[in-house]
Amino acid sequence: MSEGLLGSEWFRLILGLLIVLAFSQLNALFLVWLERKVAGHLQLRPGPMEVGPHGLLQTIADGVKLVGKELILPFKADRKLFFLAPVMVFMPVLVGFLVLPFSRGLIIRDMNVGVLLVFAFSTITVLAILTGGWASNNKYALLGAVRSVAQNVAYEIPLLLAVLSVVLVVHSLSFAKIVEYQKTVWFIFLQPLAGLIYLIAATAETNRAPFDIPEAESELVAGFHTEYSGMGFGLFFLAEYTNMFIVCAVATSLFFGGWNGLFGISLGIPGVFWFLLKTYFLIFVIMWVRWTFPRVRFDQLMNFSWKVMIPLSLANIVITAIVVKII
Amino acid sequence: MKIHDIEARMRGKFGDLPLKRDETGVTGASWSIAVPIGDLRDAATEFNAAGFFLESITALDFEDTFELVYHFNCFEPGSRAVVRVLCGHDQVPPSICDIFRGAAWLEREVHDFFGITFSGNVDMRALLLPEDADYYPLRKTFGKVGAYHKREVIYG
Amino acid sequence: MAELEKIEASDRVYSLNLGPQHPSTHGVLRIVLDLDGEYIIKADPVIGYGHRGHEKMGENRPYKQFLPNTSRMDYLSGMLFNHGFVLAVEKLVGIKVPERAKYIRVIASELNRISSHLLWFGTYLMDLGGFTPFLYAFDDREQILDILDSITGSRLTYSYCRFGGVSRDVDLKFIEMTRAFLKRMEKRWADYDSLVTKNVIFIHRTRDVGVIDRELARQYGVTGPNLRACGVAFDVRRSEPYEVYDRLDFEIPTGTKGDALDRYDVRFKEMQQSCRIIDQALDQLPEGEFLTPKVPQKLGPPKGEVYTAFESARGLTAYYMVSDGSPGPYRCHIRVPSFGNLNALNDVLPGTLVADAISILGSIDVVIPEIDR
Repeated sequence: MSEGLLGSEWFRLILGLLIVLAFSQLNALFLVWLERKVAGHLQLRPGPMEVGPHGLLQTIADGVKLVGKELILPFKADRKLFFLAPVMVFMPVLVGFLVLPFSRGLIIRDMNVGVLLVFAFSTITVLAILTGGWASNNKYALLGAVRSVAQNVAYEIPLLLAVLSVVLVVHSLSFAKIVEYQKTVWFIFLQPLAGLIYLIAATAETNRAPFDIPEAESELVAGFHTEYSGMGFGLFFLAEYTNMFIVCAVATSLFFGGWNGLFGISLGIPGVFWFLLKTYFLIFVIMWVRWTFPRVRFDQLMNFSWKVMIPLSLANIVITAIVVKII
Repeated sequence: MKIHDIEARMRGKFGDLPLKRDETGVTGASWSIAVPIGDLRDAATEFNAAGFFLESITALDFEDTFELVYHFNCFEPGSRAVVRVLCGHDQVPPSICDIFRGAAWLEREVHDFFGITFSGNVDMRALLLPEDADYYPLRKTFGKVGAYHKREVIYG
Repeated sequence: MAELEKIEASDRVYSLNLGPQHPSTHGVLRIVLDLDGEYIIKADPVIGYGHRGHEKMGENRPYKQFLPNTSRMDYLSGMLFNHGFVLAVEKLVGIKVPERAKYIRVIASELNRISSHLLWFGTYLMDLGGFTPFLYAFDDREQILDILDSITGSRLTYSYCRFGGVSRDVDLKFIEMTRAFLKRMEKRWADYDSLVTKNVIFIHRTRDVGVIDRELARQYGVTGPNLRACGVAFDVRRSEPYEVYDRLDFEIPTGTKGDALDRYDVRFKEMQQSCRIIDQALDQLPEGEFLTPKVPQKLGPPKGEVYTAFESARGLTAYYMVSDGSPGPYRCHIRVPSFGNLNALNDVLPGTLVADAISILGSIDVVIPEIDR
C-alpha cells in the first residue's frame, strides 16, 4: 500500500463505496436477467430473447422504463415515510458489501466484527419494509409488512445461531479469519446442519419463495410494495436481488470456503473467481428452489422456525461448544 | 330409491291430483308437483328430510301470474323432481333459505330478475345486477318485448 | 368457533376487499372479508361483475342464434356448454343424432374437460405460489387447443355442435393428433405426480383445508369434482347418461374428506379418466353421417318445457327452457354449477387464514362469468 492520498483510509473507503455501488447495481441487473432465464428454462420456455443477445439488455430496458414512470403517492399515504422506505431498504445492503471478502486482500474493510456488522445492518431491511407497508395506507401492504416483521424475527434467530456455531470454532468474527480457517476443509463439511439451517433461514430472510409470504402475489397482490410504482418499486426490487447476493456471499465465506478452492486445491484460479463462482451457484440454487416449490403458509412458516429450526440450531451450538472445549 | 320415498310422502301430503309423472324424460324430472304457495315450505322440508339437494330455483313470467320452479335432486341416478308454485304478481312467497342454505342466493337471483321478494330471506340485496338496479330484466315487459302469454297458452 | 364469536364483538375486526381486481380471484369475483389479523371472521362473496344477461338474450332470439352464447358463459369449458345446449334443444324438438356425431361430441367434450382441468391445475398451483406447473399445464393445454382448433376453427369459445350433429367431420389428422396427445399425457401424469402431488409443501397447504363435507355440499347444491371429493360418486355422465357415455368404461374418482387435497386428487384423476374415455371413443368411432341433413332452419318445437342436465367441467349444469311453440324459447334458464360451489364458501371460509382462502377459492375451481351469466 503506497503512502499519501492513495493509502489513506478515506480514499479507500470512498473508492470502495463507488465500486460497491457500481457492482451492486450491475449485479442486481444481471441477477434479474438470470432469474428470468432460470425461470424460463425451468418452465419450458426461453425467457427474454428480444433485447440484446439472449435478452441480456432486457433488465436495462426495464430499468429505463421504471425510471421514466411516475411515482404515485397513494391517497392519504404518509408522504415522508413512503419515499424514505425504498431508500432505507437499499442502504443496509450497501453496507454489507464493505466487509465481504471477495479474495485475500480484496476486502474494502476487514473488520474484526465483520460478521456482526452484516447481520446487524440486514435487520434494517425489515424496518424499511415495515415503513413502506405502513406508509402505503393499504391493507394488503400492511399485511405484507406485518408478515415480514414476524418472519424476520423468527428466522433471524436460527440464522444467527447457525453463524454462531461457525464463530465458536474460529474464535473470530472477522470474515478474513473465518475464510482462512477453511483453507483445507470447508465448514459445510464440519457443520453441515448449521450450513443447511443458514441457507433455509437466509432464503426466508430475503423473502424468497417458498418463504415469500410478505409479497405473496397470489394472496396480497404484491405485499408491502403493492402501492409502489416506478423507481420506488425498482429500488425494492434491486435491494431484494442485492440482498440475495450478500446472503449467498456470506454463506460462501462462512460455509463454502470463501476464496479457497475445494480441499485446498485452487487449480491456480484466482480466489475472487472461486468466490464468485460459489456465490452465483448458491444464488442459482435459491432461484431453482423458488421456481420449483409452492409457497408455505404463514403459520407453517412460523412453526417451522420456532419448533424445528431454533431447537436444532441451539442443539448444534451446544454440541459445537462441547467439541471445541474438548479439542 | 329416495325418489320413490318422497313421491309416496308427497302423495300422502298433497293427494294424487297435483302430481304429474313424466314418462318421456323431456322435462328431465321423474315427476312434478304443483303445490299452493302456502305449502311450499312443507314440501321443501320433506325434500330436505329425504336427503335431496336444491338444484335450481327459477321463475316464469306469465301475463296472469308468476310461476316458481324448484328443481330438487339427490345423489342417485334419475332422481330429479320438480315443485311448481303459482305466485301472483303481487304475492310474496315464503323463503326456504333456512331449510336449504343454498336457496338464499338462488332467491336473490330470482329477486334480481323478476322482482319477487321472498319473505324470510333477510338478504335481498342485488346479487347479479348492480346495487342500484331498479328494473327486473327477465320480466317479459322489460327490454325488447316479445310474446307475453297467459300460463294456459303453454301449459294448457 | 366460539373464540371467533368473541372476537366479532371487538373493534379489532377490519374488512378487506379481495377483488374484483386481484391476481387470484379468477375473473371478477369480489369477496368482502372481515378479518382479525389474518383470520377470516366473515366472508361475503360479491358477484355479478360479469353479468351479461345471457338468459334474456336466450329469450330474445331463435335457438340457433343462441348457440354461440352458450360457450361464452363458462369460457373454459365452452364445448361442454355448447354440447349441453344442443342436447336440450334436440330433446325438446325431437331431433335424431347420428352415431358418429355422438362420438365426435363426446371426444370433443372430454378434450375440453381435460383442457379446463389443466388450466385449473396450473392456476391453482400458481395460487399456492408454485409458478412452474402453470406453464407445464399450459404447454399441454396448448396441444388440446390445437386439436380442437383443427376441427372447430376456434381455440376457446367453440360453437361446434349443431342441432343434429356437429358442424364439421373429423379427419384422420384429428385422430392422429388426439392419439399423440393421449400418449404424451401418459408420461406427463407421472411428471405432475412427482412435481406436485408428492410435494410436501403442497400437501401441507391443501390437506384439511376448506373441508366441504357431504351435508354442506347438499345444503348448497355443490356438484361436480367438489362433491365427489367428499365421497359422493355423483356424476351426470353416470346418473343420467347422455350421448354414448353408457357404452364407455370409465371410473368416477372420489375422495374421502372433501378437503382441497381431495378436490385436487379428484380432478387430477378425472383428467386421466377423460383420456380413457377419449381412447375408447376413438376406437369405437363409427363411419357415417356427422350431421342430420333434415333439420329445418327454423325450429318449431312443441309447447312445453325441457330440462337437460349434463356434466360440465365444474359439475351439474342444466338448461331449462320453456317453449311456446315459437322458434325461440319463452324462458331460458341455465343452472350453473359454480353458483352453488361458490355459495358454499360462505360457510367454509370463516375461521381460515387469508392464505387458505386463496387456496380454497382456487381448489373449488369457480369460473365467475359462468355464475354471472
